[in-house]
Amino acid sequence: MSRLTPVLFGAQLLIMGANAMAAQVSAYDENALRVESRQGNLQILRGIEGTVVARAGIFHPPKVANLVIQSDSALAEAKIFERDYEPGQWVAALGIATLGAAIGASRISDINPVIQVSLYAISFAALGYGGNRLHSAYGALSKAIWWYNRDLKR
Amino acid sequence: MKSGLIRALIVGASCTVTLVSTAAAQRIDSTRYDGQALRYESYWGSARIIRGADGPLVGTAGWFRSFDVEKLVASSAPARAEARVYKSNSFRASVVGTIGATAAVVGVALSANNSNNATTPILIIGGLGAIAWGAQHLHIAFSALSRSLWWYNRDLARPQLAPLPTPVPIPARQTEQGERHKDSQ
Repeated sequence: MSRLTPVLFGAQLLIMGANAMAAQVSAYDENALRVESRQGNLQILRGIEGTVVARAGIFHPPKVANLVIQSDSALAEAKIFERDYEPGQWVAALGIATLGAAIGASRISDINPVIQVSLYAISFAALGYGGNRLHSAYGALSKAIWWYNRDLKR
Repeated sequence: MKSGLIRALIVGASCTVTLVSTAAAQRIDSTRYDGQALRYESYWGSARIIRGADGPLVGTAGWFRSFDVEKLVASSAPARAEARVYKSNSFRASVVGTIGATAAVVGVALSANNSNNATTPILIIGGLGAIAWGAQHLHIAFSALSRSLWWYNRDLARPQLAPLPTPVPIPARQTEQGERHKDSQ
């Protein structure tokens, strides 16, 4: 019996080690985040079940920083996302509205052509600027989630 | 007394071995994730697939691009299934979105030239409708791509179940494109 004690103890420790590894994998399955888009709305889902933990509203970003607060790198990227997302959406929306106005103005026969050209120029500039801000925001969101999921495995 | 000392030594050694091997396994796991985990960034309707937080551009998928996401994530079965969903929806979105955009641009051009007739509003409205339909499928495609990469990265954490993914040969055209993009930034 006394000879068996260290063997049993060693086996127990190995099982503990295996459990620690399994817990690490389970942390990813249960907590790892991903981004999906449902009906054009940005959503952040957690784990294998796909529980929605945050969603973007009209002109306001999902609160990503609160979700990834455990990881410093993820938090830094989440702040960039929250900084760029809202202005990007507003300016892009302004661009779409101005494009609509420009198309409407083009149907008026006696309108000054300078107004038409200006409306088109403003709309394309706004769409370009807003698109770039949104691109920066989505890039930061992608990085934030990558860092957060990576740090789940540490 | 002597057997008690030996027992204590065996217990201590097995404890140390277990702790060291667990830490080493975790370190290997983290390294696998750092070096292999993928993410994507949407870029004007295309998806730029990147390895690591600031890593290399692996390829650009979408909008008539031939980059094979399914091959990239081949080491994980669920990731492969989602990659197929991405591919089919991305193709539909590309075709219908392009037709819609062309129709809308032609409609706007005709409208700007004061060639107002019945076809102008039909082209604009029909074109915008097709763009909206394409955008909807693009959202479905990107969601599938997100799930695909999530599964792929998840299965990186399971060295005992999934072998280390074999390096996917990146087409020369994609690599050059990636480098060009990197240079332009």
